[in-house]
Amino acid sequence: MARIHLGEFEELILLTVGILYQEAYAVSIAKEIEKQSGRAVIISAVHKSLYRLEDKGLLSSMLGDPEAKRGGKRKRLFTITSYGKKVLDESLDLRISLRNQIPAIAFK
Amino acid sequence: MNSKFKVPGWPHAFFKWYCEPKRYEEIHGDLEEVFYETAEKSGHRVATIYYLLNVIRCCQPYAWRRRQSRTSSGFVLYKSYFTVALRGLLKNPVNSFINVFGLSIAVGICILVYGYYQWDHDIDRFHKNKDEVFLLTWFGNQNGTLHQYGSSPRAVGPMLKNDFAHIKKVCRIEDGGVIVKYADNVFHEQVRYVDPEFLEMFTFPMKWGSSESLYDINSIVLSEDMSIKYFGSDNPVGRDILIKFNEKDGKAFKVAGVGAPFPKAHDIEFNILINFENLRVADPEYKFDDWSKTVGATLIQVDDVHAIKQIEQGLGKYRTLHNGALQERPVTNFAFEQLTTLHQKAANIRDAIASDYNVEGRIGLPVIACLMLALACFNYINIAIVSATRRLKEIGVRKVIGASRGRMVVQFLSENMITTLLALALGLVLSVTVFIPAFVQFSGGEMQFDVLDSNLLIFLFGLLILTGVTSGLYPAFYISRFDAVKIFKGSVEFGKKNPLTKMFLAVQLVLAFVLITTGVVFTQNNAYQSNLSWGYDYKDALYVSLPDSTSFQKLQAVVSSDPNVEMFSGSTDHIGKRSSPIVIHLPSSKQFDADQFAVDANYFQTMGLELSDGRLFRDRSQTDRRAVVVNELLAESLGIANVIGTTVEIDSMRYEVVGILKDFHARNLFNKIRPTIFKLAGENEYEYLSMRVKPGTEKRVLAFLQTRWAELFPEIPFQGGLQKDVWGIYFDRVDRSQNFSIVIATIAVFLASMGLFGLVMMNVSGRTKEFSIRKTLGARAADIMQLIMNQYVLLIGIALIVGLPASYLFARASLDMLFAYPIPMSYSGIITAAVIVIVIFLSVVATQIRKVLKANPVEGLRME
Repeated sequence: MARIHLGEFEELILLTVGILYQEAYAVSIAKEIEKQSGRAVIISAVHKSLYRLEDKGLLSSMLGDPEAKRGGKRKRLFTITSYGKKVLDESLDLRISLRNQIPAIAFK
Repeated sequence: MNSKFKVPGWPHAFFKWYCEPKRYEEIHGDLEEVFYETAEKSGHRVATIYYLLNVIRCCQPYAWRRRQSRTSSGFVLYKSYFTVALRGLLKNPVNSFINVFGLSIAVGICILVYGYYQWDHDIDRFHKNKDEVFLLTWFGNQNGTLHQYGSSPRAVGPMLKNDFAHIKKVCRIEDGGVIVKYADNVFHEQVRYVDPEFLEMFTFPMKWGSSESLYDINSIVLSEDMSIKYFGSDNPVGRDILIKFNEKDGKAFKVAGVGAPFPKAHDIEFNILINFENLRVADPEYKFDDWSKTVGATLIQVDDVHAIKQIEQGLGKYRTLHNGALQERPVTNFAFEQLTTLHQKAANIRDAIASDYNVEGRIGLPVIACLMLALACFNYINIAIVSATRRLKEIGVRKVIGASRGRMVVQFLSENMITTLLALALGLVLSVTVFIPAFVQFSGGEMQFDVLDSNLLIFLFGLLILTGVTSGLYPAFYISRFDAVKIFKGSVEFGKKNPLTKMFLAVQLVLAFVLITTGVVFTQNNAYQSNLSWGYDYKDALYVSLPDSTSFQKLQAVVSSDPNVEMFSGSTDHIGKRSSPIVIHLPSSKQFDADQFAVDANYFQTMGLELSDGRLFRDRSQTDRRAVVVNELLAESLGIANVIGTTVEIDSMRYEVVGILKDFHARNLFNKIRPTIFKLAGENEYEYLSMRVKPGTEKRVLAFLQTRWAELFPEIPFQGGLQKDVWGIYFDRVDRSQNFSIVIATIAVFLASMGLFGLVMMNVSGRTKEFSIRKTLGARAADIMQLIMNQYVLLIGIALIVGLPASYLFARASLDMLFAYPIPMSYSGIITAAVIVIVIFLSVVATQIRKVLKANPVEGLRME
């Protein structure tokens, strides 16, 4: 079992970082989640989770290049660490195994 | 770069303020990206709102600035400075005491001076309309100089109100003496006849009744003192009280109001107020529209302060009216004085309802405070520099570890701030518990002091910075300059050979010298003032004020029956009580102002006035009705060779000068003698009966007079007494001023000796090893004494050479400023001060020599 507990939103972020691969930074993550799930995401919530996940060692980050659309500022790009992948997999496995244990009768 | 839109300024500043600098770029980059995108899509306004929301939402711990380790180490450093400073204070309790206590005395005096200024500044500013109320004054030429007067022509008040639309209210004030009677209480009192607007212009707080009541001509308003005097603690509103204006006319008034106790910061006050119209009863000859006579004061209240210039410009026609009616005293121009600043200016306005009795304190106190503060600061500087010898190692170690010079300066300054802060706290306590009550007692006045005043805090803070920095800056820079290597090599030349320390000590001695001299000279001067000849003999003289023209005859019989009375005299005026201002015209059309005394022929002898030239009045001589006697001052200022025999004109009557009197003080000695003229009084014009009695019997005669008075005039209170008591307030004031000088001189002596003590002690203990070696090698007591003394003899010499003329000049200047007839400066005061300084110095040095002589040299040689 995973020693680290992942929140629902954190899991979402972790997944999105994976999807975006080398283009994962706060604004793009927020847009991607919005696109995929249709729910509006507050940028500071994304920040908060990203920094937390990085502190836990699930994400690593580096600074990108300055861009004009950001007022000449660099962005912090996140990638999933191998530990992050492990935690993510464990979390998903847990869900799938839990789902599979539900007896068919329960949905009748 | 997207230049079309701009991130809103102050949310950005807020973000920058809270955001951790390392994360600023990435987080704000995100915010900007969102901002520009939103702006493109939905406009600048929406983007701004979203941006603002984001800034607020981002304000969370992950984005916050981290406490930096640099500031935290700075805090530790300050904490260590504080500990070091406290340990230093406790390690040298004597010196710390000298520093802190000396400073706190000086600070206490400064706070006292601040309180005094605050109180002085607040005088008469509690009136709500202080900015809109103005006193009408006029300028006139007297003996060649322009003076400002606070009285005004009687007719001007009512005209002002009609002539100027901006003038809302006009109030005339006239003072007069009356007899007040309520049940068995019968006293002479001063009443103020005022227009009913008085209590609207001057918003005195009321205890009972209303301030509008003066509109009723039969109403009377009392001060609290008067209410207690006649009615005790009862509320007298509604009761009747009888006022007798003169022997015939009296009137019952209904008490309609009682004032609350006056605020302490007040100058203008009242005992009894009645409507101005009552003057018609009190004095039937008083013409309200008279241009040639004056009323005590005319005040106006305007609706707009700025209109006052305009009104002033329109006063020209009053000048024409006045100068037409009274040609001998032309008015140069009329002007207004604002109530707010009236008190401060009152010293230069004659005959004004306001008076300024604080000139002395306003000049003297700050000077004293500054000198004291300087003295205490010099004490501190000297002790700080010398005590640094004991901290050389600490300074060296700090420098080696890496303290920069700036850090060292900060350390010593902050240590100094701690000392000063302690001194400030102690000084505040001292001034509130000791200095201010003592000062109030000395000055005999009232002074309010509010510890919670916010300006006081600012003042204290300023004082802290001023004293802390001035006293600490030099030691801090001096001490921090040392080279660490030299300190450890032990080759720092320090302390005793520092010329600046010596210079500071010399300056300190000079300051102490100046203060002590001033104290001594003032003490001498006060003794001189109280023994100064008044030019007449007030000692065995008595006077009685006469209620009416017939009473002189009745009293004459009483007085002549008393064998103790050697001589008596009747007069209209009396020295110290009453004189009339007049104008004397010479045939050469020159004119002079003078005080006139109308007396009988016996007056001079009765009062002990001395003749200098010519003759006095002859008894019952009809020709002397046209004769006058003048004083020497007037005779001189007339500027003619043969004053005796000269004809002068007063009130269009011609008089011949028959005699010249020696100058005498008709007022107290704070005032200059004025030109004075005597003429014979008509027999039914006597208002005073004065008498000379056998020495030692004055009390008995007074008691006898009072008993006979009660039989003769049961309805009228006795008014009179010893001539000496006329000057009671003056003698009181001189006594107080003397005490004050003594106290100031004592504090100066105390501060100076404390500083010296600390310094000598440090110097001597710094040389303990040297003295111990000398002693073991056989130095005698005299040698050691000489060694210690040598250091200071030259210094004392220089201090005396500079201090002697400095203190002479300072003392003389302050005497001339404060007294009309100061003591002629002699050297005795300065020599006394010099002796005091030298004695203190020698005794301070002697205690240290004694300590060295008694000490065991082995103890002194032992290392640590």
